[in-house]
Amino acid sequence: MAKNSYFSALKEMPANIWHSIFRNSLPSSDLGRAQTSFTNFFLHIHPVKVNRHTVKPWYTMGLGLISFFLFVLLTISGILVMFYYVPSTEQAYDRMLDLRGSVAFGTFLRNMHRWAAHGMVAVVFLHMCRVFFTGSYKKPREFNWVIGVVLFLLTLFSSFTGYLLPWDQLAFWAITVGASIAGYAPIVGKDIQFILLGDTNVGQEALLRFYVLHIAVLPLVMALLVSIHFWRIRKDGGLSRPEEAEDLTGEKADSLSDWPKELDVVPTPATVAASAAVIEKKQYGIQGLVRGPFTKVGNVPDKSVFSWPNLFMAELFVFVVTVAGVLVVSLLFNAPLEEPVNIAHPPNPAKAPWYFLGLQEMVSYSAFWGGVGIPTLEVLILLLVPYFDRTTKGVGRWFAKERLLANTLFLIFVIVNIILIIVGTFFRGPNWGFVSPW
Amino acid sequence: MATAKKANTSNDELTEGQMTRRRVLSWLSGFGLFGSAVVSVFSNLVFIKPRATYGQPNRFSIGKPEDFPSGTRITLGEHNICVVREGEKLCAISTVCTHLGCIVSTSETGFACPCHGSRYDQDGNVTGGPAPKALPWYKVSLAPNGELEVDKGEEIAAGTYFNA
Repeated sequence: MAKNSYFSALKEMPANIWHSIFRNSLPSSDLGRAQTSFTNFFLHIHPVKVNRHTVKPWYTMGLGLISFFLFVLLTISGILVMFYYVPSTEQAYDRMLDLRGSVAFGTFLRNMHRWAAHGMVAVVFLHMCRVFFTGSYKKPREFNWVIGVVLFLLTLFSSFTGYLLPWDQLAFWAITVGASIAGYAPIVGKDIQFILLGDTNVGQEALLRFYVLHIAVLPLVMALLVSIHFWRIRKDGGLSRPEEAEDLTGEKADSLSDWPKELDVVPTPATVAASAAVIEKKQYGIQGLVRGPFTKVGNVPDKSVFSWPNLFMAELFVFVVTVAGVLVVSLLFNAPLEEPVNIAHPPNPAKAPWYFLGLQEMVSYSAFWGGVGIPTLEVLILLLVPYFDRTTKGVGRWFAKERLLANTLFLIFVIVNIILIIVGTFFRGPNWGFVSPW
Repeated sequence: MATAKKANTSNDELTEGQMTRRRVLSWLSGFGLFGSAVVSVFSNLVFIKPRATYGQPNRFSIGKPEDFPSGTRITLGEHNICVVREGEKLCAISTVCTHLGCIVSTSETGFACPCHGSRYDQDGNVTGGPAPKALPWYKVSLAPNGELEVDKGEEIAAGTYFNA
């Protein structure tokens, strides 16, 4: 008797362990698909169902997700590199050489960290462009846009603090220049510069401070803001989409081919009208679909698809492409490491990484206006855009005609910054003089 | 939940300006919480602003006057100054660009900054580029041991020479 039950417990153990971790097996019904989403910790931040518009690849191009995955890759590769790094002016550069010479996969990990960082700056900016050109910052998503702008600034600040750490020539002079720019801020500028560097010049104190900011303070703040950013997508009604994406009564909704294949019930005009009334009141969310003792899914016709598998497969695809991209670039190109710091001789020209060259170009005209005044104005305008632009027309479509003015202004902003970066990168030579790249 | 709601409605019914014990207490505790937050942010700022630094001292010796014969124009990299001597006249000019802190190099016409293209003449006056002001001159004096001493803590007017 007892022997028998031990035996059967042993026999069932693998299945029991599996089911204690994953509460339900691979879904074969709509109920299962819904449960898979909300019984899994990693999946439950998604709604059970999303609007079909959300999984259109060319609408978001997965840019926000790519940013997030790059952040994850940076966290992992950063933690690994930390095992061999010492934030000391005497050792940091040697540790870089060790990483290249004697640590298994050291070069590769440093490459990953460097290229993912460059990639993240670019992709976060592109994500911001996507959100702007589709009008997605409009009510009720104003505050999520604000959080996004702050995250973009934190991304830049993270990369800024990160490139002091190798303690090479680029590192030292970029931070000297960057901290001096902060010194031009009115009233508190000199104090900010002093607190940032912990001294009057870039040295051991600055290296330690930037290290703490880079590995602890900024990642923690960013992780918190990323969480709020994601949470608010749900609370603000899912990804932005055009009004047609909700329309259930129009001609489009009636044509059967337009309905998701997963839908079990063929909609009749009566059910369409009934569900339209429900959806009018409810935004997407677990609560919107789980009422009463049963999970009511599939029997409410709307223009949505189940997150499992539609959304999750799309996200997995973006993840695989992002990781593959970083791996390939890291195998092909080595992260640069310049000469060790020489405090008497800046390289000529002393250039910041590409994404700060627009700023450096502006700074070469006027330190205050180029480094503090104009950037502060730009950030302020970006933060306040959703509070100036209150019309709700043209949301959810790229370059909507109704948003011609706003889109044109933003496009000019983007192009001007890109031109400044190109000039700073290719057209500036020794002593920041004008040179021709040809 | 229900009680909280009840409390809220009874609060709303109070007319403007009427002070109840509850209202006074909530104002005071709100003020106290906000005040503590401000004080804690401020004390964190005080904490991260260093009281002592570990960098180089402001006053340092650069050697005997004989080490700098007339016509010398030499940059001392470790101190970021350029020592100039013409006849008996000797001075120490900073080589830290006043624009954004890069180190200027000597050129035929004076000094040039590699970072953003600021240019200075032989005396450190701005002749081009974004630099907002001239390179500072530092006080040079003769220490009792016969060596020249530069004090980066004391800026002097350009053209004020030390007579060696």
